Amino acid sequence: MALDPEKQISSLWKALQGSQEANRRTFYQMRQVAIEFAGPDANPFDIGVKAWEIIGKDMGKSNLPRMNLLKGEEGLMMNIARAYQGLWTTNGAVVKIEKGKSPNEIFIKWERCPWPTSAKEFGASMKEDLLGCDRYLQTFLDEVNAFLGINLKIETQKAIPKGDGVCLRRLYKPEDK
Amino acid sequence: MGKLLFEWDYSSYTGAKKYPHLFKPIDIGNLTIPNRIKYAATEDNLNGRDGFVTDAGVAYIRERAKGVVGGICTMQGVYMDEGRQGQGYVGQAAAWDDKFIPGLKRLADAIHEEKAVAACQLMHCGRVGAIETEYCQGPSDVPQRLRIFRPVQEMTKADIKQCLKEHIETTERLLKAGFDIVEISGIVGYLLSNFLSSYTNRRTDEYGGDIGGRMRFVVECIQEVKKVCGDVPVGIRLCSDELLDDVGGNTPEESMITYEMSEEAGVDYMSVTLGWQESIYPVISRDIPQGNWLHLAERAKQHLKIPVMMAYRLFVPELPNKAIEEGKLDIWEMCRPMIADPLMPKKVLEGTQDEIRHCVACNVCLARLFRDAPMTCYINPVCAHEWDPKYQIKPAEMEKNIMIVGAGPAGLECAWVAAERGHEVHVYDKREELGGTIIEAAKAPYGDDELYGQIRFSKAKAEKAGVEFHLGTEVTPELIEEEMPDAVVLATGPNYIKGTAPGFDRADVVSVLDVIKGTAEVGDNVVVWGNLKPGIGVALFLAKQGKKVTIVGKEKKLGKDINPSFLWRYVGYLRQNKVTAYNDCDIEEITDDGVTVLTYAGYRIPVKADTVVTSEREANTILKDVVQENSIELFVIGDALTPRNLSSAVHDGYRIGIRI
Repeated sequence: MALDPEKQISSLWKALQGSQEANRRTFYQMRQVAIEFAGPDANPFDIGVKAWEIIGKDMGKSNLPRMNLLKGEEGLMMNIARAYQGLWTTNGAVVKIEKGKSPNEIFIKWERCPWPTSAKEFGASMKEDLLGCDRYLQTFLDEVNAFLGINLKIETQKAIPKGDGVCLRRLYKPEDK
Repeated sequence: MGKLLFEWDYSSYTGAKKYPHLFKPIDIGNLTIPNRIKYAATEDNLNGRDGFVTDAGVAYIRERAKGVVGGICTMQGVYMDEGRQGQGYVGQAAAWDDKFIPGLKRLADAIHEEKAVAACQLMHCGRVGAIETEYCQGPSDVPQRLRIFRPVQEMTKADIKQCLKEHIETTERLLKAGFDIVEISGIVGYLLSNFLSSYTNRRTDEYGGDIGGRMRFVVECIQEVKKVCGDVPVGIRLCSDELLDDVGGNTPEESMITYEMSEEAGVDYMSVTLGWQESIYPVISRDIPQGNWLHLAERAKQHLKIPVMMAYRLFVPELPNKAIEEGKLDIWEMCRPMIADPLMPKKVLEGTQDEIRHCVACNVCLARLFRDAPMTCYINPVCAHEWDPKYQIKPAEMEKNIMIVGAGPAGLECAWVAAERGHEVHVYDKREELGGTIIEAAKAPYGDDELYGQIRFSKAKAEKAGVEFHLGTEVTPELIEEEMPDAVVLATGPNYIKGTAPGFDRADVVSVLDVIKGTAEVGDNVVVWGNLKPGIGVALFLAKQGKKVTIVGKEKKLGKDINPSFLWRYVGYLRQNKVTAYNDCDIEEITDDGVTVLTYAGYRIPVKADTVVTSEREANTILKDVVQENSIELFVIGDALTPRNLSSAVHDGYRIGIRI
């Protein structure tokens, strides 16, 4: 039987996209479950953001075995940036990492991200989508900081949900005062 | 010369002449130990869930006490708090109340009855503890690296004071129980090591800060325990290197400061360890060469005047004997070698070293701890069954003439056990040498040569028991009918099979055994069919020769027949040697270009290959019918019954050997 590589790759590609979409859909379905359980007084925005916080913390925990101080804090920052990149790439985003001017900063750029589209589709606000991502990244980082006794920070400078075209975040080590 | 608890005269033993440095006395505090051997504390999970000592635990420790031939036998570490925050294992012994003293006394008495020195360990498991509670305790609430452990709650000063009190009260109980030595455990992530380490201690009060501050709690423990002990020696186990540099742990220099401060605080010996459960480096698996860590004991000796002891990949007496002679070590500690063979040092002393069942450093004894299982050993079927009469070798009720087909690990194990029971045992093998497929398995890289130790052991035991070998003899139906034995044990090993997909009949499809024997030609691009241990072994064997290797296997997970505490080593080496593995897959076709891999979901992946190595196996019952037709008692064991691993072969062999 002759193997048709194009057919195999296209089938796998479709399966990957389907799985990424299913992943996003599952998040919003579970968010809806939580909203219905929480009752009419609960604010869906708060529930969505809380969910991202919990996920970020747990993903941070999952990544602790891979955190390594042997290459210094600069190496560690790259380690974290790559972890963020991997987490979003597997969900269909295109994420680039650029070193900053200072060794104490790294820029992470989301050139494409399917999450805002999913948020719209399931009735979540862009504000929730943006804050959800921020909380995810922050609680992930909090876990790493607590584990290694360090104090890295992350800030959002541009965001697709705000109409900036890209999400741009700065991962940095605050200068000692 | 200190107080000698039991008189031992080793002068007439051959082992004492061969290893004179192992069998000479040493003083620990006011106590004289007749030799340099110590069974180190090992969690056996044999106690009740309520912490009470059991018959199984007593029998287990008695056997090890017998093994140390007058040396030190240490029972496992006890937890000291009713709240069970210090408890790290479901079957850990407790000592937080006087009600535990009678059980602990049984252990001390059992050790004394074997004329050995009884030691017990104080062990608060710290951030790897709280097995039965929601939170564990530590100096700071540093998140866990491994999910298996509980979240950490930072200890208040009142908690620290309480913990110190528990150390004191527990020591009093251990002395009442009759122990001769009290050992404080501060290793691998347990509470004291948490206080010492810059990774887990971020306190800003007097119990944190620099190494002096981080040592405060340890020093207080030593001083208080010493006060209670009086003349009874107090030892400590501490890391000489935490191997936590990737997360900001102590430097080796800081570790040496902890050693010096412990000595200054009054400990009578130092047990040198290394690594934490959270370390990312291998320490004790068989890919680490024997004696690899002796330099750490030597370094400790340079910093201390008190005796220094160490375990860690010292499985043969030559190494510690030489190290003691050269002043690098004072006492040879053992855990795993005496799990595999509790009488190991006794056999060294008696000059029957070839009858030692050597540990293969597989770490299943460690893996089971984290799965809340009682002690078990990969190659010692009696381990943790010492209490059970059903597991002991007893004379056969009726002597039989037994034909064992196959001189691999299953057949040889069965042979010596059956022969010791009084049976007449004949072992046949078509090969000219003993060992079966372990001969090939032991040629895989990264320490697998140590697997052959099991064959040396069973050969020595079989020869001593009078087993007759018929090597180079293939057993045929005619031979069985001619010999007409009372029982036949089929231990032929497995059949190595080929797949049914097109191309498996090609000349470039070769067997794993032929590849390792060197009788098959292998190209530069190889696909190994089978993702269990034989496939992994041959993949590494070939990758080390510079070949590009891909594993294709039907099992969902790579190496599911390898225990998890060792599998990570193989996975690391496969990655290092750039071996790709397609699990949950099969070979659909083999052509001139290579192999088409078919995933479970029906996707196809082309893999370039000029050789396919088959390592899949199936049961081998070729002689079963002829045995049954002749109404001969039949047993099928090891891979002949169903392909598994060395452990299953040995355990099968032993179990049939004791009941045949």
